[in-house]
Amino acid sequence: MLRLNKTPSVEQPPTIRLRDLLLLRRGGWSLAFLLGAATLLAVIGLLAISGWFITAAAVAGTMTATAFGFDYFRPAALIRLCAIVRTAGRYGERLASHDAALGLLKDLRCRLFMALGKKPLLQAASSPSHHGTANAMHRLVTDIDQLDQVVLRALLPWGWAGLMVVVVMAGLYWLSGTLMWAALPGVLLAWLGLPLLALWRGIDQARQSAELAERRRVALIEPLAAITSLVLWGRWPEMAQRVKKWDADYLAHQERQQLLASLTTALQQVALGAAIVSVLWQAEALLAASHLTVPMLLAAVLAILALGEILAPLTHSFLALGASLAARNRLNALSEGAPRAQAAIEEVEITPPSWQLNVSQLTARLPGALVGPQRINLALKSGEILCLRGPSGCGKSTLLQVLAGELLPLSGECCLNGYPIEQWSMHNAVGYLPQQWDLFDMSLAENLRLGARHAGDSELWSVLDDLVLGTWARGLPQGLETPLGEYGAAVSGGQARRIALGRVLLARRPILLLDEPLAGLDAVTRRHVVTSLVRRAQHGILVISSHVPLELPESQVRTLYMQEDGRPRRFPPVPACLEAL
Amino acid sequence: MSGATEANDPRQRLNRCLAPQRWWLRGATLLAMIGVVLLIAQSWLLATIFHHWLLLWQGRESPGHPTVWLAGLAICMVLRPFLHAGREWLSRQASLRARDALRSQLLTQLGHLGPVRRQFGSDGALATQVLEQVDALDGYVSRYRVQSLLAVLVPCLIAAVVAFYSPLAAGLMLMTAPLVPLFMILVGRAAAGASQQQFVALARMGGRFLDLVRGMATLQRMGATDQAETKVAQASDAYRGRTMRVLRLAFLSSAVLEFFAALAIALVALYLGLGLLGLLPWAKAEVPVPYQGALFILLLAPEFYAPLRQLGTDYHARAEAIGAMQALTPLLEADTWQPQEAPLPPVARNVESFTVECNELSVRGEGGRLRLAPLNLTLAAGERVLVQGESGVGKSSLLHALLGFSAYQGSLEAKGCELAQWPRATWQRQLGYLSQQPPIQSGSIADNLRLAAPDKTDQELIEVLTLVGLWPILLRGNGLATQLGERGQGLSGGQLQRLGLAQLLLRDAALWLFDEPTAHLDPDAAWQLNALIGKLSRGRSVLIVSHESAGLEWVDRQIELSSKEVMTCCD
Repeated sequence: MLRLNKTPSVEQPPTIRLRDLLLLRRGGWSLAFLLGAATLLAVIGLLAISGWFITAAAVAGTMTATAFGFDYFRPAALIRLCAIVRTAGRYGERLASHDAALGLLKDLRCRLFMALGKKPLLQAASSPSHHGTANAMHRLVTDIDQLDQVVLRALLPWGWAGLMVVVVMAGLYWLSGTLMWAALPGVLLAWLGLPLLALWRGIDQARQSAELAERRRVALIEPLAAITSLVLWGRWPEMAQRVKKWDADYLAHQERQQLLASLTTALQQVALGAAIVSVLWQAEALLAASHLTVPMLLAAVLAILALGEILAPLTHSFLALGASLAARNRLNALSEGAPRAQAAIEEVEITPPSWQLNVSQLTARLPGALVGPQRINLALKSGEILCLRGPSGCGKSTLLQVLAGELLPLSGECCLNGYPIEQWSMHNAVGYLPQQWDLFDMSLAENLRLGARHAGDSELWSVLDDLVLGTWARGLPQGLETPLGEYGAAVSGGQARRIALGRVLLARRPILLLDEPLAGLDAVTRRHVVTSLVRRAQHGILVISSHVPLELPESQVRTLYMQEDGRPRRFPPVPACLEAL
Repeated sequence: MSGATEANDPRQRLNRCLAPQRWWLRGATLLAMIGVVLLIAQSWLLATIFHHWLLLWQGRESPGHPTVWLAGLAICMVLRPFLHAGREWLSRQASLRARDALRSQLLTQLGHLGPVRRQFGSDGALATQVLEQVDALDGYVSRYRVQSLLAVLVPCLIAAVVAFYSPLAAGLMLMTAPLVPLFMILVGRAAAGASQQQFVALARMGGRFLDLVRGMATLQRMGATDQAETKVAQASDAYRGRTMRVLRLAFLSSAVLEFFAALAIALVALYLGLGLLGLLPWAKAEVPVPYQGALFILLLAPEFYAPLRQLGTDYHARAEAIGAMQALTPLLEADTWQPQEAPLPPVARNVESFTVECNELSVRGEGGRLRLAPLNLTLAAGERVLVQGESGVGKSSLLHALLGFSAYQGSLEAKGCELAQWPRATWQRQLGYLSQQPPIQSGSIADNLRLAAPDKTDQELIEVLTLVGLWPILLRGNGLATQLGERGQGLSGGQLQRLGLAQLLLRDAALWLFDEPTAHLDPDAAWQLNALIGKLSRGRSVLIVSHESAGLEWVDRQIELSSKEVMTCCD
């Protein structure tokens, strides 16, 4: 039932590697590449064959004898074919690449989700909070959506460009080696030199974009929350100026990238132009020596001209690549610390007959907090109930977090059945309801079954009845299947808290750590819920933090009072309002 | 703003917002048109060179100077890319300036709105409007705007030049031209609809993923991550299916446009080629367009359609910009109150309390809805009053009017002078305000206190911190240098409110206004804060809006606001 970890977890490779983006949807990307290549060949072909055709026709037309013998069916058919392939190919390529991209995003979402799920909940006092702020969460979603851009806007265009350059240059070589050599410097510059230069100069800038955007947002959102006071104090114009400064920084940064992309594109087109002029320059002699025909020369020039459109995306690819790389790094950092494959952990399965929770001289702080529990001593065994009392901010929640094995204490010990708590895989033994619980955008039943996936309806109803939710739920038109909406928007705060509590109870964990489960309940409901909790926890240990007394006989419940500075207090304090009298 | 109905149209608003940038955009259009002229020249030169060589190759006499033409060609090929880069730069400048102006306007507007901004969304949503929504105009300004002109001008110019050589080819091109706007509309509609639907679907799927990731800790505690992963996969697959169905249609409409372009080029090539062969059925053994003209037309044919295809690609930028403008409109049109400031005798900064008198004071919101029913209230100098009432009865509106952020009807006099006559800044300097969200920023305690009062010494800061009972707690940290995280992370809610009180004390204002300062605190902490406010506010005028009355026994008077006209007062 329980596992004891014998060896610590080991470093693991990053969740998302660049090559995964290609390999995960190999088939889809290959199809998109082939269709795209066919499209681009048709683009070049349409121009080159048309040029060849009318020039050859002009030659034939001047000699009326040959005009009638001129085979115009085949080129005409080829031209029509190119027009059709160009259209159909582009349509197919766009569908194939979007399908592959969406598939990739699905794979990445699942993979990242699992990686995040394996991340230990245990938090050292110095590390930042576990799963980051709401803002970071939001960025996570946009970051994932950014990743397909690596393939769509960098890898595929580079692949196509390479292929087309090789095809066109081979065609030139077949016509005449001289022409190929004449075109080579310009084409190489346009294909590799300038785009690589842009990549080298721009990729770091593109990586920083998201960071600057984030800083701009923080610079606005913080003063915005305090705007009324800032206006009263006459400080808002100053704050607005600061926002504008960050905004200007961000926009200047964007402008630098745009300018780089725009200028390299211009130079790239100049390089291709140089290739064409140089081909024409060389061609004069070749034509004179009859090594070359005019129709073929025109076809070659038009083919190089068509390369312009194909090579242009390369100079912009650094934007997508840099942004995606930064997104990948953030995602990997977010899922870092997940333990490696399970094999590395040696586990001992034990099911102890009874439970003992011992805490001695325990001091703990949440990261950044000034106050936390100090020098707490506790000894609890199966069947016992402990109520934590004390003013808000004194560290009750922090203490529960330590007991749940999700926070390392600064000093002191916390042992379960004699073993330090961090050595346990706690999540089969402990049912922990933190102050911030979550309901999901699923039905009531699905939310409850997250605690016990095979629980039958009768079990769900029994827990709802225990928490005084039965009557309410039976009155719902859809009953257990009622969707709860995002963040449980469809239910009131008190109901949501009890549904989350019901989920913990369904999981039947022997040790229950409940943070303010009674907040916002009226006295009658509270009494009913407490009775149910006591009944359900009679064979295990129950720890509850509460602002109100539990109203249980003293023989049944022990109480730990904490002072404002987090130290335990021997006697119940005089209520604040009486103290003032 | 009155008569704003037609100004509400986001397209007109967009135009107005771009009007100051028109010279940048005109410059960009001009550069683009010069680029097209160069393109035509380039095509003509290329056609001429090949015509020359064809004649030479056939051993016929040919006039001309290929070297000069080649030089001309080289000049065209160098100039055109830079003209394009210049056009892009000018458009980007227009975009930067337009966005900057709009953003300044929004920030000023937010300053005028103060607490009233809540009516326009959460701070997160407002930040998105000021930053991302304004940036969403970029594609429209820097690409679409100029391109939509070019899509008309360039085909006309090219058709005119082509007609010079072959009216029939020009006719063929122009015949397809009316189809193009038609397809533009179809493509545009389909693309806009598709992107709209896709956006909704993406948001929904992102929402599902976010919902589950946010609750990851809960899922882990329940051992239910695998159950949730199945949900993620299902949602992604559903999204993929839906998106692909939409895209199949959206891409089809742009493929039709593409097909027309390709087909027209192919037809022109066949017509010219067969014409050169003298094989046209209606013109046997005749050459309607000689080779030079034919090649020239062939080179220009793709360029005839290129601006239209580009416009199709950029079309979504327009929908995006209009959508963004629509989202921004309520905030931009918000009826901020501009007091009719009359010159007042200079008011020395003093802490002397004063009387505030409301006579039939009422506040109206959007569409004339009554937010605060006419109220008569006199707040004597140094009087402390608790205001209660059901939610929605106008407690906050009363505070907003007193704070000078909202227009009012009736009369509101302070120091015997109508509030609308006070210079706003002068009036607001006399006020202290604390809501349930204290104005605490990340940074040190000293930074936060000096935000309210820049020129106080450390000793003075420590004094007020001692008064609010925070100093002993801070001594456990780094004293005045104790760092607070985002939104004051590190202190509890009650402690943050006490820090807010310390800021008020530093300002030494004569009238303190509180809006539910204890709303999110637990009963103990709420009681303590209320008692502390009572202790510190002696000698000042106080108006405190609160649901609680525990700990507020010190008030002189309690008022129950009701939606009826006359207020009931009791001691």
